[in-house]
Amino acid sequence: MSVLLHFCQWLYDSPIGTSIRESTYTFPIIETVHVLGITLLVGTISILDLRLLGLILKREPVSDVARQILPLTWIGFAVMFVSGFLLFWSEAAKSYWNPAFRIKLILLLLVGLNPLIFHLTIYRRVEDWNLAPITPWRARAAAIASLTLWSGIIIAGRAIAYF
Amino acid sequence: MSVLSWFIWLSKSPVGEVMQKSTWGFAVVEIVHLLALAALGGTVLIMDLKLLGVIFKHQQVSRIARDLNPIFLGSLVFMVLSGVMLVSEEALKCYYNPAFRLKMLLLFLAIVFYFTLHRKALRISQDHPSWGSRAAAAISLALWLSIGLAGRAIGLI
Repeated sequence: MSVLLHFCQWLYDSPIGTSIRESTYTFPIIETVHVLGITLLVGTISILDLRLLGLILKREPVSDVARQILPLTWIGFAVMFVSGFLLFWSEAAKSYWNPAFRIKLILLLLVGLNPLIFHLTIYRRVEDWNLAPITPWRARAAAIASLTLWSGIIIAGRAIAYF
Repeated sequence: MSVLSWFIWLSKSPVGEVMQKSTWGFAVVEIVHLLALAALGGTVLIMDLKLLGVIFKHQQVSRIARDLNPIFLGSLVFMVLSGVMLVSEEALKCYYNPAFRLKMLLLFLAIVFYFTLHRKALRISQDHPSWGSRAAAAISLALWLSIGLAGRAIGLI
């Protein structure tokens, strides 16, 4: 048995995991927070992505939009991470074998790399293209990657329940 | 024609039949509903937090709203269309579901509110948010959050 599977089984059998799974309301309540939290995380980051694509808020500097939007996205991320981890906690031993869950984790890893690359490269010179009529292709590529990956994460997340 | 007969008609319509027979139909449409939720919720949040004076403090409301409105309305159309398709799979169950009834009432209120007072607040281009626009934002946030909660509850009741 792999270490990961062992860990998942241990989480699954732990008192917290068991109590979330066995209570009538805890799981649906956390799940509701997780579903509505999508708006705070993905809803806000998409606005920044659309700005990077030059589709909306063109007259606002990119760095301004990022500064206004990203704190909300981070709050959304915290809400999603905590609620998502609690859901996983209660189902860990099943999630381990779930193909949709595995795909979701890979996509989450990729979606984390995207802003890392973006901030270390093209965003460093944002002052040069803050109000450019056409944003640099790297910024547009990062936006398309973000929109695609987050959509994939929502789809994979929903699919977890179908396996 | 009673409201009940609309639901019966919907369940017997070609869309309803396809949804009831297909294996993946419900799952796929539900995903569309979720993706549209991200866009709708995101735009509502940004517009209302702007009206409340939490974000975009130095930008004009009207300029933000002008760009976000098409996304809001577009995603609302997707929400309603995918929502009708979801209902068509189990129309009668929805008709008798209290959470569904509450959601429809709240949705009606939210749409009426948006096209009247909320839009009026979004058109104003002032520097500091007035109490009127703050109230409009709070009502809008409360309505859309309740719609989300009621929607989630449909499957649980």
